[in-house]
Amino acid sequence: MAKFSGSRVFVVEDETLVLFNLEDILAELGCEVVSQAMRLEQALTLAQAANDVDVAILDVNIGGTTVFPVAEILAEKGIPLLFATGYGREGLPVEWQDQAVIVKPYSPSDVERALAPLLEAASQP
Amino acid sequence: MAELDYARIFDVLPSPFMILDANLVYVAANKAYVETTGRTLETLLGRQIFELFPNTGESGRRLKHSLETVVATGKPDTLAYLPYPIARADGDLEYRYWTAVHVPILNDAGEVEFVMQNTVDVSEFARIRAASTVPFATLSAEARLIERTREAEASNADFRRLFQQAPGFFAILSGPRHIFTFASDSYLRLVGGRLVLGRTVADALPEVVEQGFVDLLDRVYSEGYVHQAESARLMLARTPGREPEETYLDFSYHPIRDPSGEITGVFVQGTDRTEAVKAAQLQRLLIDELNHRVNNTMATVQSIASQTLRSTSDPVVARNAFQARIAALSKAHGMLSDRRWHTTEIGRLVRQELDAFDTNQVRYNGPMLMVNSKATIALAMLLHELASNAVRHGALSQPEGRLDVAWREDDADNLVLEWRERGGPAVTAPDKRGFGARLLDTIVSGELGGHLDLSYDPAGLIARLSIPPVGYIAQELTLG
Repeated sequence: MAKFSGSRVFVVEDETLVLFNLEDILAELGCEVVSQAMRLEQALTLAQAANDVDVAILDVNIGGTTVFPVAEILAEKGIPLLFATGYGREGLPVEWQDQAVIVKPYSPSDVERALAPLLEAASQP
Repeated sequence: MAELDYARIFDVLPSPFMILDANLVYVAANKAYVETTGRTLETLLGRQIFELFPNTGESGRRLKHSLETVVATGKPDTLAYLPYPIARADGDLEYRYWTAVHVPILNDAGEVEFVMQNTVDVSEFARIRAASTVPFATLSAEARLIERTREAEASNADFRRLFQQAPGFFAILSGPRHIFTFASDSYLRLVGGRLVLGRTVADALPEVVEQGFVDLLDRVYSEGYVHQAESARLMLARTPGREPEETYLDFSYHPIRDPSGEITGVFVQGTDRTEAVKAAQLQRLLIDELNHRVNNTMATVQSIASQTLRSTSDPVVARNAFQARIAALSKAHGMLSDRRWHTTEIGRLVRQELDAFDTNQVRYNGPMLMVNSKATIALAMLLHELASNAVRHGALSQPEGRLDVAWREDDADNLVLEWRERGGPAVTAPDKRGFGARLLDTIVSGELGGHLDLSYDPAGLIARLSIPPVGYIAQELTLG
């Protein structure tokens, strides 16, 4: 049985090929992508409607803008966040510095390591 | 020999001269003197000096004593470093330092009829000397300078020139309201050539008040400490008539003390660091951006590798497909790089992918349309997948097959592109969606927010895609 079997993931990633890779990695980890957006306005709509999501993986830079408005909505709902960025943690603004980060390009084990504490925390009563 | 006109010579002498009678009433003053006092000749003549310039302080007493001594003794007298406030025409009181030489003019009976005064304004010299942090090695010459007006004048001019032309900026502010009494050339350049001399900081540079610099000067003036700052950011009007610009300065404020230890002003010195700071910021930004782009490209390449290896178990097929996909990505990058990573012309993208084919077999045309960097990469990958599919399974797998590609901008500014194959092997819809179809759909519907119509017509594959303006028109140029 896959490691995070049944975990429900919200994904924002604006590049098709990178998204494919992430979808494949998540599938191997047993995660289910329940919401997936590639553009900001679509991501905002989905974030507002999101419920029953265990974790969100958010590409920081989407189409020349940033994903933080989406992150705010999801954080309000108490959904754990994992930022994916080519800039590294230093690229995150101060208010998001404490969030989990994976740096592109990431491997399946990078994703697994980053997700583990977020999903464990979420499964606590 | 021409007769000399002494009155004219007196008038044009470069340093201030005036003549009083034995009652200390003005009888003459040259242009330089009149200018220094900020009055007119008419207001001076016939008036008693202390009536016009009342000064009950120490300086006034010294001046009066010197003049009376000359009248009484008939011998010259010199006053060194006489601090003397002058009320300027605008009403502000300006503190200046003078060295004054008083010379008696005797009548035929040998009595003092007039006293002539020659003053040299040594304000800058006095203040610079008082600014203890300025490293002047010539202070030992002070005594002589005080005694000899001409030497003082010469040194004053030297110091002034030294400071005036120094690469760092210097300014001297006098009194509690911080009136500019000296500003070097570089200081004037810094503030956009504004007329600052004789004006208060708040009046001359209004934009710095809100930014706390006058408060800072007040504190240096009242508390007497040295304020230093490195790469301090401020908004300063650098060009007349323009909005204040971001400026970075290394600067310090030093209290200026008179010989009694009283603070009389603030010495300002510093260096404009704006260009260096901005260059460092830009470099940081470019390095960050480069890292970001390299990392994102790595992520794309990683995904291409992973997707390619996943789609076939034949290593030769995988290797060729991988290399071709990387080449398509690389060419798109090259085209973007040519245009500063801003836009690409869609015709170039299509030609790049289809140029290798016989023109009898492949045709393409459409108007010149610019697409943004994101759409460039996405469309390059999409066109590559369509072309390689056509070569492997579609119209381009047979000599009699034909491919037509046409693009246009529709009434709603959507970019509409049609890929139409015919004459190849009969087409049937695949049982399950492969990598190519998944890629097309995700790029068009997901990444670019458009619409894809993929038709498995038996005569040949037809792909119609429509991309809204927001998905392909370049926004203003950013590094992102």
